[in-house]
Amino acid sequence: MTIGLRLFISSATFAIGIALAYWFTSREIVGTFMLGFMAFALGFVATYMIVAEREANLIGDEREATIEDGAGELVGTYTIRSPLPLAAAAAVTAIGIGIVVSPTIAILALLATIAIGGLFIVQSR
Amino acid sequence: MLADSWPANATVQSSVMASTWFAFAAAAAGVAFVVLALVLYPLVRWRRRPGDAMPEPFRNNYALEIGWTAVPLLLVAGLFTYTFRAEARVDGLARHPDVVVAVSGYRWGWTFAYRGGPTIDGPSYPPAVFGERAAAPELVLPLGETTRIELSARDVNHGFWVPDFLFKRDAIAGQTTSFDLDPSKLGTFAGKCSSFCGLDHTRMLFSVRVVSPRAFIAWERGRT
Amino acid sequence: MSAAAPAFVEAPPRNDLLGWLTTTDHKRIGILYLMTSLGYFGVAGLLSLAIRTQLARPNNTFVTPHEYAQLFTLHGTAMIFLFVAPFALGLANFLIPLQIGAADMAFPRLNATSYWMFLFGGLVIFLGAATNEGAAASGWSAYPPLSEIKISTGLGQDLWIVGVFLVSVATILTSINFVTTVFIYRAPGMTMWRIPIFTWEMVATSLLVFMAFPSLAATLLLLFVDRHLGGHAFDPAYGGSPVLWQHLFWFFGHPEVYVMILPYFGVISEIIPVFSRKPIFGYTGLVLAAFAIAGLSMGVWAHHMFTTGFVNNPFFSFVSFLIAVPTGVKFFNWIATMWRGSISFETPMLFAIGFLLNFLIGGITGVMISSPPIDYQAHDSYFVVAHFHYVLGGGSLFAIFAALFFWWPKMFGRKLDESLGRWCFALLFVGFNVTFLPMHAMGILGMPRRVDSYAASGPLPALNLIATCGSYVMLAGVLLFVYNAVVTARAGRPVSNDPWGANSLEWWTSSPPPEHNFDSLPPIRSERPVYDAR
Repeated sequence: MTIGLRLFISSATFAIGIALAYWFTSREIVGTFMLGFMAFALGFVATYMIVAEREANLIGDEREATIEDGAGELVGTYTIRSPLPLAAAAAVTAIGIGIVVSPTIAILALLATIAIGGLFIVQSR
Repeated sequence: MLADSWPANATVQSSVMASTWFAFAAAAAGVAFVVLALVLYPLVRWRRRPGDAMPEPFRNNYALEIGWTAVPLLLVAGLFTYTFRAEARVDGLARHPDVVVAVSGYRWGWTFAYRGGPTIDGPSYPPAVFGERAAAPELVLPLGETTRIELSARDVNHGFWVPDFLFKRDAIAGQTTSFDLDPSKLGTFAGKCSSFCGLDHTRMLFSVRVVSPRAFIAWERGRT
Repeated sequence: MSAAAPAFVEAPPRNDLLGWLTTTDHKRIGILYLMTSLGYFGVAGLLSLAIRTQLARPNNTFVTPHEYAQLFTLHGTAMIFLFVAPFALGLANFLIPLQIGAADMAFPRLNATSYWMFLFGGLVIFLGAATNEGAAASGWSAYPPLSEIKISTGLGQDLWIVGVFLVSVATILTSINFVTTVFIYRAPGMTMWRIPIFTWEMVATSLLVFMAFPSLAATLLLLFVDRHLGGHAFDPAYGGSPVLWQHLFWFFGHPEVYVMILPYFGVISEIIPVFSRKPIFGYTGLVLAAFAIAGLSMGVWAHHMFTTGFVNNPFFSFVSFLIAVPTGVKFFNWIATMWRGSISFETPMLFAIGFLLNFLIGGITGVMISSPPIDYQAHDSYFVVAHFHYVLGGGSLFAIFAALFFWWPKMFGRKLDESLGRWCFALLFVGFNVTFLPMHAMGILGMPRRVDSYAASGPLPALNLIATCGSYVMLAGVLLFVYNAVVTARAGRPVSNDPWGANSLEWWTSSPPPEHNFDSLPPIRSERPVYDAR
């Protein structure tokens, strides 16, 4: 079990514990719900990691590994520059401002955001 | 000058809180002194001098680490026990309060409605200038008797704060919360709004006048 | 599967404006984050000077009450959402891949998107100041019913909601990026128990962000629904509950305090060993303490609500006290790191010592106000203002300057001037304490926070005047830092890979690092690979 997985499992366990402690000392619904939901969300990540990590074998976790051990494997490519992040953030901000000042702007910005999202996928190919 | 204007500690409850302040301040000063010494000592003792060798690279000392986890744990357990007892005495409600006042905050003023008695309504708008407290509404309380305050707010959240009582309670819009005041000193004390409520939050003042029970009855008759 | 050496789509580096606008390089994004947050710090700092100027004497008319409310609302919002927290994100952006021997973050384009959302979110918040009724004026905690449409009718409050929402989403996305990068992209041999403490603290911080920030985003949406779509979640006139807002907001708001301090615990844990010439003492203890703080901080939110009368005070008081224990562990670990060391006093170390001294006071007053009978006087008063400024100003801000002086050579290849740095530290340390120490007394004497005036008799005028003088001393310190940066850019001499004799991986590569971070890596067998290789 990797340390990352252990982190999420122990956090989820802690959240369940503190939710129970809070409920039985306070009988207050809002906090109990929030803590319970937090436990659920952390547990969700932990479950995903259990499923995803079955095959994982990271070179970073091997205590005696050298740089040469990690060499030569191509795991993907980095885009070193892209205009899309700036465009995406601007479009999302325009949605926000549009919701406040003018629905037309919001709808146009939403369409732009969807288009930019599509471009992200195209760029990743 | 500072000592003259220190909170007057004018209720039975506030003397409990004052003791808590003093106990915690003493503990705080002790801890601060020890930790400060521990920070400053190495800075002087092991400051780098020309020709120093590389120091010994020790990394762990489990006994020490367990020790400095356990000691603070005991300390905060003690502080919590103290707090728990003190809070029970401050927040405890008398079974039969002598006077019940419904206090309601609004933008920007206070209403003090005595159960079976007068209602004092004091808008402090247009804003009073500091020092001109005459305009602010006055809450009159009998010395040595228990007054139940039932606190609420009409529009936004306010806060009922009398610094000389070392006490405040938030006035939440649409909800009522109760606490007791047992005044132990005669005098007039400044009250203010502690929770930001808009433009004239600063000037949302009131005053509390503690009088003898006899004078209180006379005052109540005179107002009804 | 190995993720140690991902291939690059090589492109010639661009140093023009377009290069910065389109960059997905974590180092550039980190620097953009740092510079943007410092810019917001400058604005928020000027706002605080306006606040202190108004309070220099009683019944002052430097600003109107409505302007004053906007001032402290924007000051709080900007310092918290746009400076102290995002500065840590910027630092982590720059440092995490370097400290774990990776070439970049796991999701470079998401990283850039987060940055731009943070920048725009901040601008949207300030855009409110240009509207008819001015910027948001209900405090950084925006308690309804005050922030409801019936009372805060202006567009400024809406823009505040949108801006803070954008920043909160950006923070969540960046945290996902951090955790993924640390879990997956560590260099061969860089096991989790060998990553530097700063990186560990950012993992704990990210975990806190996952737990706390969704609550903020959801709460902001609820307020927006209340204001414009006929919701009544927080409106008592229709059965809504203002206390509900306080629960949901502080469920985010208190963990947020640790989001703003854990990264800086990491900064201090990096700096003290270097200038003591010793490895960090109690590595495991420091990491466990970080997670203990993160976990416990999720169970203390209602200590901001002790005075409401609607929460279980003893429960929240107890958990708040408990947080002092892991925080104390960290403090003792730092002392033990200096113990029998060989301590030198370059500017980063001075700021780290300033952090220790200021944070000590902030921590101790924090334990005091964890006790409800004390909080009944201190809450919403200048005592609390003093407390959190000692934590976030005396603590985080000093660690921020420590980090700037320490990593500046790695970022820009030039060391900031030492003697100017010492003066900067002296001015900030003196100015800070002169400003905020008197506030403890103001609070006990009965001065509420968020007031634009105070009683003209008694000690408050003198105390306030002292505090105002201190704030201008701090301004001088900050201006000296700006001057230092300009002088260094013009006349600073290039530095070696490792100008401080530090031992984590970022000091192995050149200053500033190449676009792909590392041309070579030493074998990683401890948390001090550069030391082992020497």
